[in-house]
Amino acid sequence: MPPGSDGGGSTVRRIQLGARLRALRLAKGLSREQAGFPIRASESKISRMELGRVGFKERDVADLLTLYEVADDAERERLLALTREANAPSWWHTYGDVLDTWFQNYLDLEQAAEMIRTYEIQFVPGLLQTDAYARAVIKLGLDDAGPAQIDRRATLRMDRKRLLDRPDAPRLWAVLDEAVLRRPIGGFDVLREQIDSLIEICAKPLVRLQVMPFSSGGHAAAGGAFSILRFPHEDLPDIVYIEHLTSALYLDKRDDVDRYTEAISHLFIEAEPPGRTPEILRQIRNELPAGP
Amino acid sequence: MDAAFRFQCEDVDVAEKPEDDATAVKLDTNIPQTARIWNYLLGGKDNFAADRAVGDQITEAMPHLGTYARLSRKYLARAVHYLATEVGIRQFLDIGTGLPTADNTHEVAQRAASDARIVYVDNDPLVLAHARALLTSTPDGATAYVDASLYHPEAILEEAGKTLDLKQPVALMLMGIIGHVESDEEAKSIIDRLMAGLPSGSYLAMYDGSDTEEAVVEAARIWNISAEPKYHLRSPERIAALFDGLEIIEPGVVSVTRWKPDEEALAAPDIAQVAGVGRKA
Repeated sequence: MPPGSDGGGSTVRRIQLGARLRALRLAKGLSREQAGFPIRASESKISRMELGRVGFKERDVADLLTLYEVADDAERERLLALTREANAPSWWHTYGDVLDTWFQNYLDLEQAAEMIRTYEIQFVPGLLQTDAYARAVIKLGLDDAGPAQIDRRATLRMDRKRLLDRPDAPRLWAVLDEAVLRRPIGGFDVLREQIDSLIEICAKPLVRLQVMPFSSGGHAAAGGAFSILRFPHEDLPDIVYIEHLTSALYLDKRDDVDRYTEAISHLFIEAEPPGRTPEILRQIRNELPAGP
Repeated sequence: MDAAFRFQCEDVDVAEKPEDDATAVKLDTNIPQTARIWNYLLGGKDNFAADRAVGDQITEAMPHLGTYARLSRKYLARAVHYLATEVGIRQFLDIGTGLPTADNTHEVAQRAASDARIVYVDNDPLVLAHARALLTSTPDGATAYVDASLYHPEAILEEAGKTLDLKQPVALMLMGIIGHVESDEEAKSIIDRLMAGLPSGSYLAMYDGSDTEEAVVEAARIWNISAEPKYHLRSPERIAALFDGLEIIEPGVVSVTRWKPDEEALAAPDIAQVAGVGRKA
């Protein structure tokens, strides 16, 4: 039974921190038992920590980071800050991540998810963007960025897409507003290539896309874009993720999650069924104006 | 378009429901709804506060309800596996799909025979949205999803016929759903009309709640105060009578834990969930 997320501390932060610690341990080629030794934790304790199912002591995390040879001060401080937030009282349940840290924090969460449900009204979901489309989106958000910074971010986004090719890839179930498929981010050539890529993606068993046509009113207009992430264990609640221009918000309280789950349920019901998506994409592609 | 692509994205287009259909369901998260309550009882996360409240009340009256739900799902898996492997059935018509859980019908069937074709039928729009997105077929089999009510057997058969070959044997599955129909006469009529559309060599696999345990009777009473749709327990004899006219497969109409049990089922007691499999001659 999902016991609710009210049991003190932040589930979001625990899952993020756990996923990051697991990645760091695997990168060092250490077993859970080896990782547990210096902090006097059993193998199963390490397992529960890495899944975000239990809390962390700041000293234990510091010891693990040393064991995993995390030398970068900024990265150490980011993870220790997550630890402190993971232990903060439960009223502290919404987190604003600033631009510097929110993206890495979100990636950690995404890596740990077994299913990502998402509603997009502006952009193709990050996990499905082509390189050219991703660059165009990044440029929109970074007016004064140099080519090097755009490159770095675009590469990061392409690396992130590999998540969907992993053996333990999460399911991605998305509703795209029709506007996403008509707005020529980066120009019509870029959009056409992006739509072709989405048509191919429909064949992936773990990706299900549904289009919300302009002709549908009601719930489609009820709010902005958001995602709901689900994690593999029964006792971890779903988490709502809302991205803003320079920050991000996570919700893990059952009432909040229920509201967004209800919203996305209406969207899934009202949008065109996934079986029609390839046909709709081809039709929209053919209707786009010729030229770049 | 290659075959894999076509089947991944295949969907059966569904006839519009008549406007005055009293059995049509809309998503209303304030009314506890059967698929979502069972999802909660099975440890799922696709449920809302109203569903959890009823689930908790029922669990208080019957702490082992979650276990019963799981044991019944295990029976579903054994019955589908038996039909796919020992009988060689390749087509399944699963009415009252519910929200996806572990070992859904097509997963069990297609593990045994990757070309198995499964039609899921439900009238809960949330269930259908989940089924279309998450219950996806192997490339050489098929899954389709029909929006229809149990009370419209002919409409179900007509839609199912778009994916299944109704001249070849079909396993009709009514798993924990016939209790929603109060009168035995109507329940029997629905089953008979469904089986009438299927050829000789077809099967009915069914389990349902029985009234032989006080806690279960109390759980059903609580359910019927607030949840939709209502549930009506029957005696094992009345459940067995719904198989009349079919050849009952061994070991007969018995507790779900006694129907061709594996080790886990054998270790469990007889429970007030009664199951059987019958063959149309």
